Amino acid sequence: MEERPRALLLKFPGTNCDAETARALEAVGFETEIAPISTVTRELLAGIRLVVLSGGFSYGDYVMSGRIASLVTEQKIDAALKEFRDNGGYLLGICNGFQILTQLGLLPEGSLVHNTSGRFQCQWVTLENRAPESPFLKQLPERFEFPVAHAEGRFVTADPAEADGYREKGLAALTYADDVNGSFASIAGLQDESGRVLGLMPHPERFMEARDHYDPDWAGGDSGKGSGYFLFQSLYDAISNSQ
Amino acid sequence: MKLFFEIIDRYIEPGDASGLLYAPLSEPLTYRQTRRYEFDVEGDAEKVEAFVRHTLLDDVSQEIHSGDEPALDGFRFVLDYGMKPGALDLEKETVVRFFRGLKDPGFELNSLTIRQRIYVFGDGAAEPKRFIRDICNPAIQNWNVIEATHA
Repeated sequence: MEERPRALLLKFPGTNCDAETARALEAVGFETEIAPISTVTRELLAGIRLVVLSGGFSYGDYVMSGRIASLVTEQKIDAALKEFRDNGGYLLGICNGFQILTQLGLLPEGSLVHNTSGRFQCQWVTLENRAPESPFLKQLPERFEFPVAHAEGRFVTADPAEADGYREKGLAALTYADDVNGSFASIAGLQDESGRVLGLMPHPERFMEARDHYDPDWAGGDSGKGSGYFLFQSLYDAISNSQ
Repeated sequence: MKLFFEIIDRYIEPGDASGLLYAPLSEPLTYRQTRRYEFDVEGDAEKVEAFVRHTLLDDVSQEIHSGDEPALDGFRFVLDYGMKPGALDLEKETVVRFFRGLKDPGFELNSLTIRQRIYVFGDGAAEPKRFIRDICNPAIQNWNVIEATHA
């Protein structure tokens, strides 16, 4: 029997999207383990092909979203995630996971701060796929919809020109079609130079089935699958083919 | 030794102060919110600042101000509030727990107090007591007001 690629989902106190993210990973074929950060060791990464940081409010978003989770991760396993990436591993951060990846320095420098609206925003957004060759986005069209749910989702850089530079270099893998939260360069998702690390504010795991779409007559659902399914499927295929 | 640090978000524009209250103000006032950390420590002050910069500051989106004086000026008044000493401050506990896990922080932390600081700007006649009434919970929080000093 063919071995399934293994995914490890790190769970922090306050992570609350781990179950549905694990279901999404299992749905496309990953063998998935959820590991509370208190149990995580370097050794646990052996044999893992994908590390996922899912959405939620790790450590109550105290200090700033993702900050304490990133510090505790460094305390627990130091630079093990960077080594994991450098050795060919894939990392996916969704919403709070994106915030944690930026804090860990696994993505181009930037930060996710409070939306310009000053409110928690829970809505569907249209996204532009600016990295169609990305292992995460290969099976997604040029434009598609995902739901977002965040208070601190505005991507900023120390100098706004840096964010424009990310778009020019192809690192801004996903952008909002409209101004959703004031993100510089409309960045909704960011990848690193290797292309194996992706962080995004929207929630692909909440749109696995066509019926998850807010419009019951959604025209994109011929396959019965939602756009989120194809993000996870792209990743599964990329990892399976690289084994 | 007591050390004070205030963290200011660079990218958050002044908001409408009516948004903090149950009823809108008659005068247009704006506000900015910052966070103030009071450290009671023994040891190397530089190590304390290094801890603050590493743990509590985001270099990309925030700035730090050291000292007891308000970081911003031109305000009408400042409302400083936070949890009473006997009340459970989960944010403080999270920071302290992280500190306790450090191998060699270079200082002893006797206590940490976190205060939310609201700067109110504008020429309106709003009294701080309205803000205290609508923002602070007297059961678990205490507060103080810093009035602007005019030369």
